[in-house]
Amino acid sequence: MSALGGAKPAGGATGIAPVPAVISLVIFVIIFALMYMVGTPLAMTALIGIVIGGLLIGFGVHFVPVGGAPAAMGQAPGIATGVAMLAAGGGLAGLFGGAWAASQGTLVAVVTGAIGGGLMLAITCFFVNFVYIYGMGIPAASGKVKKDPITGDSQVEYKSQGTEGHGLPFVSFTGGVIGGLLGGAGGTLIYLMLLDVYQASLPGIMKATAVQIQPIAVSLAGMFAIGIFLVIAVLAAYNITGTIEGPHDPKFKRFPRALIACAVASALCGVMAILLVMV
Amino acid sequence: MSVKIEVIEGGMPHQKILIAGLVLAVIGLYLSYLNVIVGTQMFAFFGGLAAIAALIWGSHTIKILASYGIGTGVPSAGMIAFGSGVIAFLFATKYGLYAPIVAIILAAVIGAILGYLANEVLAMHIPVMIKSLTEMAVVGALTLMGFSAMISGSFTFSALTTGSMKVLGMSLPSYQASYIGGALIATVFMLGAIAIQHGFNACLGPGWKQDRMLMLVAECGFLSMMVAAVMSAALISPAAAILSFLIGLVGWYYTYMKYIELSKRDAAAWLDLKPIPEVEGH
Repeated sequence: MSALGGAKPAGGATGIAPVPAVISLVIFVIIFALMYMVGTPLAMTALIGIVIGGLLIGFGVHFVPVGGAPAAMGQAPGIATGVAMLAAGGGLAGLFGGAWAASQGTLVAVVTGAIGGGLMLAITCFFVNFVYIYGMGIPAASGKVKKDPITGDSQVEYKSQGTEGHGLPFVSFTGGVIGGLLGGAGGTLIYLMLLDVYQASLPGIMKATAVQIQPIAVSLAGMFAIGIFLVIAVLAAYNITGTIEGPHDPKFKRFPRALIACAVASALCGVMAILLVMV
Repeated sequence: MSVKIEVIEGGMPHQKILIAGLVLAVIGLYLSYLNVIVGTQMFAFFGGLAAIAALIWGSHTIKILASYGIGTGVPSAGMIAFGSGVIAFLFATKYGLYAPIVAIILAAVIGAILGYLANEVLAMHIPVMIKSLTEMAVVGALTLMGFSAMISGSFTFSALTTGSMKVLGMSLPSYQASYIGGALIATVFMLGAIAIQHGFNACLGPGWKQDRMLMLVAECGFLSMMVAAVMSAALISPAAAILSFLIGLVGWYYTYMKYIELSKRDAAAWLDLKPIPEVEGH
């Protein structure tokens, strides 16, 4: 495909190229080996949690219906902004929600984060459709499928000629909410894992009580979680390359290779965040 | 996907901007370290100038990368720059005086691995992807370090996490009244991430001119510097904060007027419309 004579995609447009996948796996193993050698069991658990969180975010981003600039003109389905912005909006809303519940245990906090992210995207999707239908006067119709996979409603009759569809059909709306749930849960999980590590080790390093270092632990964990979240969201966005309608879009099938990239990226960023207080 | 859709015409070569940005940022950071050597806080503003140098370099890198059509919008480039930069920056603060050098090396490693993942695993196949993401991670780390040095007076971990609070006339150490403990870093993160991407996002298109874009980035940088100076009043002496603010204000005014001039130069035509038209009679 490259006009500049670069390497051709080895595994096709949606497949996984074998050599980069193996190299990624090697980097992934090296990071875990490094953690095993210098870190404590708590740190190891935290790193595994961060990778799971990263995978949740990377997978979740693929569900969110991203329309980009064409959607702003009603010429493509989805929410009219970029992937990184939407993921940041939904995921960070979830992360902040989950952080409030951090003291009530991992499960409660992660579920709270998921609900925060899902709610944020549900509200966004609702108002996107509100503006499209009542403001711009266009119905919701998918351009990628003939029938909505969930409701079975026919789409073709409602699609305007010359467009790729418009608005948010039910399946896209559902995809958005699922994406928000996964993103919020993943972001919160990363935050909680880092918070545990910092709360355990910062008092010793800074020679202060656990209560005194609480602001530092919360702020550091939050900042690293936001950093890791954005890195993974943008990598997943690169995988989608622009716009996606939701889980029924053919581009959704690209997610396996995003999972490889997100696992390595979250392990890499996570190990830095943990080693800050380890070596 | 990897067809270059926009060509760079005229202006300074990227290599020159890269070297200038990197050198100026490192010099600026070390000049802000004079604070520790001399025992004052008046040199904090050098951190802000270092951040602006890094931002100008970073925006040109975004221009190079985005000219291949990454499809995810220009803001995403700013987000990944600062997302990877903040991780390298926070880790590097442990190394005291060597923090800027460690941050550059670490950010370059993180950026290169992320670039490899994007280019090969995610099959973007953009020739400048690895180089651009490496540069952007370094820019993110240096910008954050610059603004951190400006707000808290230093870029070491202990200085960023420990502040002081006055209780009944006594000065007590406090972790909450610090740069990281007070989460000022989150504001700086967004100030930088917006400043780095806005220049290209606003100036892109067939009428793109290098000097106009870089002037806009400098303007955004000085605007961020003014906000950072206001925040720095909470942590460093008022005189140092006012000095930073004044330098930011003067720089902003100069770059803003210059940017308007350049915009008029590049415009096909313009009409000097008064903001509020005067209504005759009633």
